Amino acid sequence: MGIEPGRIQFSWVSSAESTKFVQVVKEVTETVKALGPNTHFVKHEAKVA
Amino acid sequence: MLEYTDKIREIAARLLKEGTVEMVIGFRKGTVPMMNEPCFVTDAGDVDRLIWDGNCGVNLANYLMDRKEKIGIVAKGCDARNIVTHIVENKIDRDQLFIIGVPCTGMIDRRKVAAAVDGEILEVSEDGHNVSVRGQGFEKVLNRQEVLQQNCSLCIHRNPVISDELVAEEVPEQQGVDRYADVRRIEAMDPEEKWNFFDDLLSECIRCYACRNACPLCYCPTCFVDESRPQWVGKSQDPIDVRTFHFLRAYHCAGRCTDCGACERACPVGINMRVFTKKLEKDCLEKFGWEAGLTTDARPPLDTFRPDDPDDFIK
Amino acid sequence: MKVILIEKAQWEAGVEKARDSYRLFGPVSQGPFHQFRPLAAGQLPDLDYSNTRMSAKELVYPQSEKMFDYTLDKSQPDHHLLKEPQKDYSPRAVLGIRPCDADAFGLVQRNFDTPDYKDPYWIRAREAITLVGYACSAPCSTCFCTSAGSGPFSESGLDVLLVADGDNFLARVITERGEKFMAAAGWDAAAGDDADARIEALRAEAESRIASHIETDNLRSQDTLSLHGAAFWEEVSFACINCGTCTYLCPTCWCFDIQDENRGKQGMRIRNWDSCMFPLFTLHGSGHNPRGKKVQRVRQRFMHKLKYYVDKYEDGIQCVGCGRCVQHCPVNIDIRRVCELMNSYGPSQDACAVAS
Repeated sequence: MGIEPGRIQFSWVSSAESTKFVQVVKEVTETVKALGPNTHFVKHEAKVA
Repeated sequence: MLEYTDKIREIAARLLKEGTVEMVIGFRKGTVPMMNEPCFVTDAGDVDRLIWDGNCGVNLANYLMDRKEKIGIVAKGCDARNIVTHIVENKIDRDQLFIIGVPCTGMIDRRKVAAAVDGEILEVSEDGHNVSVRGQGFEKVLNRQEVLQQNCSLCIHRNPVISDELVAEEVPEQQGVDRYADVRRIEAMDPEEKWNFFDDLLSECIRCYACRNACPLCYCPTCFVDESRPQWVGKSQDPIDVRTFHFLRAYHCAGRCTDCGACERACPVGINMRVFTKKLEKDCLEKFGWEAGLTTDARPPLDTFRPDDPDDFIK
Repeated sequence: MKVILIEKAQWEAGVEKARDSYRLFGPVSQGPFHQFRPLAAGQLPDLDYSNTRMSAKELVYPQSEKMFDYTLDKSQPDHHLLKEPQKDYSPRAVLGIRPCDADAFGLVQRNFDTPDYKDPYWIRAREAITLVGYACSAPCSTCFCTSAGSGPFSESGLDVLLVADGDNFLARVITERGEKFMAAAGWDAAAGDDADARIEALRAEAESRIASHIETDNLRSQDTLSLHGAAFWEEVSFACINCGTCTYLCPTCWCFDIQDENRGKQGMRIRNWDSCMFPLFTLHGSGHNPRGKKVQRVRQRFMHKLKYYVDKYEDGIQCVGCGRCVQHCPVNIDIRRVCELMNSYGPSQDACAVAS
């Protein structure tokens, strides 16, 4: 769709896997921070005449 | 094509006379070249209205929605696959239909024909191999195969997968077709290139929704773009909203699209939105071994779970 | 009216000169079809075209147009006020618009510029625009302008009419606005005395090439309710997929929808073209839809153009015969055919149909 691969991630975390959950959140935020703010599919104000 | 027309009329007249069906849905000759109009016939005396040629690209499965009558429907390969999809999705009962199957040799792309000549086209005729075009001060004969709709030139299901009577012998299916070359080309782009490619692709879109409405799959009572409580998508010409419409529409067709080409054919500004649905078609084939509308005996991949469904995207 | 002679060799220089006083728009090739676009410096309108895919109405009435901005943020001095958006209403000129499209502005004006209500956006944009028309010498087979109250050389709505004549354009200056434009372009060579006769001859020739005609003489006298209840609507509407192609491509369709778009406490009101083909068009807040069925929506489109408008304004039909809907309807619903059904309708036909 024109979205960088790192911006979307699917994980399976059971409610018993708190350590994994923390790790996943950490990884995702780090990856997204490295990519910088998303510029695609962002609409601040409609572009109209 | 003349034989097809004669046979369609003969079957339609018989069905109506015998009361097998209350109406027959087919095509009548259009008022402009390379356009025919979907129509219905309820009286055996009116079957001469029905015709068949390479300009019957509108998907007639679209006209079955919510009808209560017993219907005879003229169906080429892709129409028949969409009828199967309707049956699988419980939109229509098989017993309500008499399917007049048309082995198809592909539909003519009027844009390709228009691009091949210089000037307005006034008359187009065809035989099995050629399309003859006549306009103000010119006449040209084109190779029929070269002016087919792209989806037709890539089609490997030309014969109806389901029918009660065929209008002719089955046609040979095309062999060795590379169906996804254009999808692979887009897959190979990096995100920025893809973004720009889709920007260009959709720049002329006027949100008339002809693509959505020409599609037999789009039968939601209220489409997500028309919802107002809550409203999901902006309704202006803002490019993000336009793109959201196209992407979400395509996703709704995943595992259901038969690549009949009705969407692209309907578009008044010539957008090839089939690149979206073809990507999903390719994914369904590669990941689930699934092609839509080939059988009423299996559930589509998106409404079943199998332990061996691919899940390598889950980290 | 005076006629100016423009040698085609002087065309480019004049267009460039006019650019000092006007923002220029014109037909531009977009691959398989033409669209009206702003003309960049050095870019000429491509006059080798029959008609643009989208009509010229969007030049005055954009598909999506901001009406005003607002903020609900009380820390802002102008909170809860409707702020007029900045728009460029400086003079602009459209070069090469077809007479049918120009004619359509007059029809649309009936909606936006009435004694009771004056739409500021449409009126200001219309006043800012000079229309330099280009007469049709080779109409399409789907053009029926001459029987829809327009014509290939129609001057209604135009400020200047350009007529191609060999190596020259004969430019008939129709309005004061047109004179200003011609002066800005530096075209001032008076055409010879025979220019009017020459234009008339070319007009007659072009009109004789219009092969498609509609009959509209009975529409006015038809009984509205019987026409509304005619049996043919079921058959006419069968193929319709209720897309907006006909209404959006039409130069005379004027309906719009109003939307507010908010982000935080900031927002704007936008109006977007709407289409009577869409179920949402008439959906009430209660959930009831008075035009919930396809047949009702299709009937509305044709009744509006060919009956309600005719009765209300007593000045012909709401159609200029450009043929866009005929050419581009994805399922080939043809207004010429529907007009014939409406014009020749007699309630007795339905009675006969039922009896047989």
